[in-house]
Amino acid sequence: MTTTTEHGLASGPAPRLTEGLPEVRANRRRFSWNTAVRIILLLIAATLTLGPVLWTLSTSLRSPSESFKLPPSFIPWNPDFTSYGQVFQQLDIFLLVLNSALVTGLIAVGQMVSAALAGYAFAHLKFRGRGALFSIVLATMMVPVQVTIVPVFMLIRGMGLSDTLLALILPAIPTAFGTFLMRQYFLGLPTELAEAASIDGASPWRTFRSVYAPLAMPGMAIVGILAFNFHWNEFFRPLILTISEQNFTLPLGLVSLQGNLGTGSISVVLAGVVLSMIPALVVFMFGQRALQAGLTAGTGK
Amino acid sequence: MTGAINGHLRQITRRTALGALGAGIIGASVASWPRLTGTDIPGRGDNSLSIAILGTAADAAARQRAIDAFSRIHPEIKVKVQAIQAVDWKDFFTKILTMVAAGTPPDVVYVATEGAQLFAEKLAHPLDDYIRRDAADMADFFSDVHPSLVEAFMYKGSLYQLPMDWNAANMYYNTAAFAEAGLDRPADDWTHLDFRSNLAAMKKARPSDFTPYYWTNRLFGGVVPWLYANDTSFLKETRSTGGDWLWDGFYANDPSRSLRSGGYQWLEPNATDGRVFESFDYLRGLVKDGLGVRPEEGGGNSLVGLFASNRIGTTPAGGYWVQGLHEAGMGENGFDVQFFPRWKTQRHQFGTAGYAMMKTAKDKDAAWEWIKFSSSREAMELIFPNPATTPARRSMVNADLYAGKGPAHWKVFYDTLDRFPTTGPIPAPPQQAAVETALMKNVSLAVSGDEQQLKQALASMQRDLEIALRRQP
Amino acid sequence: MSTTVPPREKTRQAARAGKAAPARTVRRGTSRHSQRWLAWAFLAPTILGMGLFTLIPIVASVVLAFFRWDIISAPTFVGLDNFAEVAQDPTVRVSFLNTIVFVVVAVALQLGLALALAIMVQEKLPAWLRVFFRSAFFFPLILSAASVSIFMRYLFNEQFGVVNWLLSLVGIPAVPWLTTPGGSAAVVILVYVWQNFGFSFLLFIGGLASIPVETYEAASIDGATGWRKHVHVTLPLLSPTTLVASVMAIISALQVFDQPYVLTRGGPGDSTRTAVMVIFESAFQRLEFGQASAIGVLLTLIIMGITAVQFRLSKRFVFYQ
Repeated sequence: MTTTTEHGLASGPAPRLTEGLPEVRANRRRFSWNTAVRIILLLIAATLTLGPVLWTLSTSLRSPSESFKLPPSFIPWNPDFTSYGQVFQQLDIFLLVLNSALVTGLIAVGQMVSAALAGYAFAHLKFRGRGALFSIVLATMMVPVQVTIVPVFMLIRGMGLSDTLLALILPAIPTAFGTFLMRQYFLGLPTELAEAASIDGASPWRTFRSVYAPLAMPGMAIVGILAFNFHWNEFFRPLILTISEQNFTLPLGLVSLQGNLGTGSISVVLAGVVLSMIPALVVFMFGQRALQAGLTAGTGK
Repeated sequence: MTGAINGHLRQITRRTALGALGAGIIGASVASWPRLTGTDIPGRGDNSLSIAILGTAADAAARQRAIDAFSRIHPEIKVKVQAIQAVDWKDFFTKILTMVAAGTPPDVVYVATEGAQLFAEKLAHPLDDYIRRDAADMADFFSDVHPSLVEAFMYKGSLYQLPMDWNAANMYYNTAAFAEAGLDRPADDWTHLDFRSNLAAMKKARPSDFTPYYWTNRLFGGVVPWLYANDTSFLKETRSTGGDWLWDGFYANDPSRSLRSGGYQWLEPNATDGRVFESFDYLRGLVKDGLGVRPEEGGGNSLVGLFASNRIGTTPAGGYWVQGLHEAGMGENGFDVQFFPRWKTQRHQFGTAGYAMMKTAKDKDAAWEWIKFSSSREAMELIFPNPATTPARRSMVNADLYAGKGPAHWKVFYDTLDRFPTTGPIPAPPQQAAVETALMKNVSLAVSGDEQQLKQALASMQRDLEIALRRQP
Repeated sequence: MSTTVPPREKTRQAARAGKAAPARTVRRGTSRHSQRWLAWAFLAPTILGMGLFTLIPIVASVVLAFFRWDIISAPTFVGLDNFAEVAQDPTVRVSFLNTIVFVVVAVALQLGLALALAIMVQEKLPAWLRVFFRSAFFFPLILSAASVSIFMRYLFNEQFGVVNWLLSLVGIPAVPWLTTPGGSAAVVILVYVWQNFGFSFLLFIGGLASIPVETYEAASIDGATGWRKHVHVTLPLLSPTTLVASVMAIISALQVFDQPYVLTRGGPGDSTRTAVMVIFESAFQRLEFGQASAIGVLLTLIIMGITAVQFRLSKRFVFYQ
């Protein structure tokens, strides 16, 4: 293992942030003992983190009458896939996934673009009222969505967009947190770049386009992944803003699997939960490295 | 040299990739524009009769056969069913109110007892004139439906819905658990004390891994059946006058004619009543002695699975449960059903549901035709093909419905109404949401502490109910 | 401040930038002028969007707080009635208290756990284990709070849940998790922290990575080892990250809705009813939109107050390199 520290965005194959803090040589023997304790603690934490998910997976692969078996079994030896069939019977899961993908995808792209532009303006462009405006943008983060949902609802109605996916997408595109992240990201880029460009006499647009825009991608990726993660799992706004089942997103569909008066079957509900994890898992696997690396950049200061 | 070319290539491919990505995103949004704006939803924005039901797309599809039959009789009326998913009725009403707020209310809504008075007060149009006009057609319906169910939809002398399906809180029991404890099938008039000793016997036979009495904290089947059995309720129950036009017109010869009124009214809280305390105290005793569980708020998700896996001795439920147990793999002889135990009375609690016509319905005559058609035996057989609920028509609650699924004593379901004609609906004034919250949030505390805590919980329930009832509906 | 571009990448980009921008003489005034135009053009989507979907609704919400309105009939002006009613409503009071207790406990747990795990993961470990732990701790974040709450409900079932079964192995009698005030509050907090600590964990990993190695070497020369090293070196150097992580954790915890809504519906009693749940209930279950707005306005004021205090405190305690 290496003890070199490489800050920020890693370009190598492994997420090479700090690969370990330096150890103190004098204490080598005590350290190996410490390391063992540390690994055990970490393993316990990882078990507690992943255990419930494993239980969910294995229970979804059993029939309802066996679902409460104790001691619990975490590995499904004889998987029974009928519950998964029933999920597809009870829910148009492809439509739910399509809706969630459309909503989340467009929000993510919208946030990436708008946050990159605004973040750049706040970081590198000079204009009157910049500080005040940035504070206002940040302050909007503090207003709970429940406070503004009723006026937003009426606004959506006025726009003729009641019970549509656009009603979920449009209000979510302006992003205070994304703007904040992108501003930090642009501030983190070395200023020599811009200086070099301005000595060359490039216009502000030119500077942005040729110097900063090509470098913006990793930062935008973080904004996109965070937006995806948040809105893929979003519950409250869809609960209020969509009515037709055809406009439901995944989390809403899953909750309704529980059935009226709890007549739903636990295995079917859990099968639905497992199915809904898959797309997020895929995005996670592809985005994880960029996310881990990028968050370092945005918030270390 | 090669490095520079590589870099150049990389830049080109990267730009191309970004361009392709951008184009792809724009293309995808354009292609999915109908999805984004909801214009691809069939029947959206047209003037067909829109009917909202609680359920999934699968439930809506199940109604398609009824719609087809309706279209043969009324080809001029276009109908669309909107299935609205919700975890409970409160959730469903929230959705309907949201639709009203969004300016797109449905024309007809399937409403359960929980929301009957909310709709009658604010949103629904009375059916009186239509029923009088089509009295000849309606006579067949009313003769097949118990008046208790009809009365639940009376509000201030007018009828707002025709009951389509219903369920009383009877007592389900696990036959194996009863046999293991050496218990016979309980008698029809078993008392709350018999019930308790049965639970104790089961507990003794199977001390761990098993709960003799499992119940959940909700308006239906929670604490209310025990209040009704003890001839009380958490709200003062009164009746309004009127409604004689209906009772004299269709139920003149019914033995329970004299009991009928212009509808229930719940205007005052009653949580500090002595008998309310008594009922809660009884439940508290069950919890304390490990005979019953502390009820979970709004729970019940695990109920079918737990019951089907033989971990529960008894639980209150209605006919709607049969299909769920069957699907969870419970054999027809694995369980049975009996009347709810007797205390001062054996009055049961029931919930029922039917179509309400919205005040805002574009074509009220068409809406009525749908409601009337749905009450016909033909339509109800299409809508209720299996025992996932109990049909309101007595003639449909027959051996065929329960064949192969159980329970052996399915007759208990409809007999509940005939044997105990005072059996009453879920108490649900127009302020139902607030009232339900006020009740539910105090139940767990009331039954899981000492007597002092119980008294405090009931006092706090009384106060919460007062606030709830004072609210404008 | 950490550099965000590795040196190799940096020089390449600079070289490319130098090539891409041809020499051109532009007067400074024009540059400032065009900067302003460019700034507003870049800000337009965000500012217009926020104006339309956040600022106008906030103003509307404040106005609505002075009206009685059920969405079906026309609104009527009632002055301060809504605020008076809210102030008297014990449920509202309890829900605000619950929210504050929840925020304090959940955020403390979340940050403490995340920090401890981040430090442990960043110390000497085989690379594959480090990747495994990082992924594991982040994993709950990709699930939806609603579905997490669904399966956690089963796990915390008093009679048949796995949690109580595990406790029974070490001789602890069944805990009535979801049916007593303390138990259900604990479950809501545990489930929330379980799902969210991974985010703070990632932030801390990032923060730790930006602490220069030399600092530790200097510390070890001074004789600081083990935990003392972390207390004296890591914590102060990490304080900017801690500030960001805590602000974000607090803002998100203040708005907790999904977990109590699905797990306990706010019960038993009002023990897990949070402020935003009360807003939801009063608006969408009882159609008291004016009152809901009044509660919302109060909540927003409280959130802003807390954040302001936080930033003020941060001036004293945050150590900037």
